Amino acid sequence: MIPTGEATLGPFFPPRYVDKGANDLTVFEGRQATGEAIEIHGRVIQDDGQVLENLIVEIWQPDAGGIFRHPADPRHAQADPNFLGWGRAATDAQGRYLFRTIQPGAPEGRAPHINVMLMFSGLMRILKTTLYFEVGAGNESDPVLSCVPSGRRGLLLAKKQGPNRYCFDIRLCGDGETPFFDD
Amino acid sequence: MNTVIEPRDERSQPARIVAGYPQTPWRNPRQPLVKRQPTLSELSGPLEVAKRVKLLGGDIAGYGEHQAIGQLIHLRVRVLDEDGAPVGGAMVEMWQANSAGRYSHPNDDDHAPPDQNFHGAARLLTDQSGSFELRTVKPGAYPVPTKDGWWRPPHLHFSLFGKVWLSRLVTQMYFPGEPLNMQDRILNAVPDVAARESMIARYLPPAAEPYNALVFEHRIVLRGRAATPAQPP
Repeated sequence: MIPTGEATLGPFFPPRYVDKGANDLTVFEGRQATGEAIEIHGRVIQDDGQVLENLIVEIWQPDAGGIFRHPADPRHAQADPNFLGWGRAATDAQGRYLFRTIQPGAPEGRAPHINVMLMFSGLMRILKTTLYFEVGAGNESDPVLSCVPSGRRGLLLAKKQGPNRYCFDIRLCGDGETPFFDD
Repeated sequence: MNTVIEPRDERSQPARIVAGYPQTPWRNPRQPLVKRQPTLSELSGPLEVAKRVKLLGGDIAGYGEHQAIGQLIHLRVRVLDEDGAPVGGAMVEMWQANSAGRYSHPNDDDHAPPDQNFHGAARLLTDQSGSFELRTVKPGAYPVPTKDGWWRPPHLHFSLFGKVWLSRLVTQMYFPGEPLNMQDRILNAVPDVAARESMIARYLPPAAEPYNALVFEHRIVLRGRAATPAQPP
C-alpha cells in the first residue's frame, strides 16, 4: 500500500494539544527519571528572520543509559521505567521552544543525540533533524552525522550555555539552514 | 522486531513549495535533504504518548441542547501500515473547523460564527484492528486570507503516531464529491491522482443505524511495519 500523503499542520493546531508538562521529560507519571537533567532551548527562524509562533517541536531520545523505551531495542527491558523519551513543545511569541530532559546516553554505535521533528503551517511535510552535543564524545564516528556534508555538521551541535543548559537554534531555510533528513 | 522503512514514491507526497501558498517558500529547506540509513534511533519511537497527554475521545458533536450545529457525520477510519497490517494502539489527533468553516482557535478571524457547542478536537487510540470512529459535524469550507487566496474545501486534519519515529504522520482528509476539492492548493500539491484520491473518504449508503448521520469510511496508511517474529506453535 502507498503511504498516505503528508499535509501541512495548518495554522489552527489546537493549543490544548500542547498539554501542560508535555515538554518536561524529566518526570513521567509523577516519577523522576534517572540521570542528569538538562534544558534545551532555541529559536526556530524562517528565511526572512520572521519569528514563528506555535510551531510544534517533538523530540524522541534514549534514556541516560542510551536505551530506547521500545521493543526494537534489544536492551529495552533495562530501560528507565520513569523515562518516556518523547516530548512536545510549541514555540512562544518570541519563536522560542524549551524542553527539560535527561542527558541522553550513547546508544550502541551512535553518539549521544536527540531526534527532533518540526510541524507547522506551510510545512507540507514534517521536517526531521537530529541534535548532537557540542562536547559530545563519538560525534566524529556517528553514522548519521557522517551523512551530513562536513561543512554543515556544526549546525547540528547544540551549544553549551551553562552546566545543564544547551541552545539549539533551527533555521528552516536560507543562510545557515539546518540540515534536515530525507526520510 | 524489525521495521522496514521503504523509500517513498515522491509522486504520492506533496510538493514542499506550492504555487499560490505564500508561506511555503520561506519555510521549506532549499538545501538537498540529507539521505541516511535509519538506525535503531529512528526505527524506534514513542508507543505510550497517551501517558503524557490527555485523551479526549472521538465523540465531539455533543448531544441534546448542546449538540453542535451542522450535518452530523460518523467517520470510520482504519489505520494500516504499508503491508496492510492494522496499527493498533496508535494515538490519533484530529482537529477541524465547525460547520460554518470557523476553527475554535485564536488564530482564526471572524469570517464565520463560532459554535459554543463545538471545539473540533478529538484525541484517541486505535483499537487492535487499527480502527477508530468519530462522531462529529461536517466542517464548512473557508477562505484562505492571503492575497489571491483560495477556498479550503471541507477537510479534517489528522496527526498520527505509528510504531516508530519515521512513521509519524500529519495529513488531511477530504470529502467525496466536493467541488472545492478541484481547486485546493494543498490537496493538489500531491502530484499522483490515485494518491490524491486516497485522501478522500468514501461515502457509505444509508443503514438503519445511525439513522441521523451521514456515514463515511476512510483509510490512512502509515509507513513501516513492526513485524512480529515467528513463534513456534
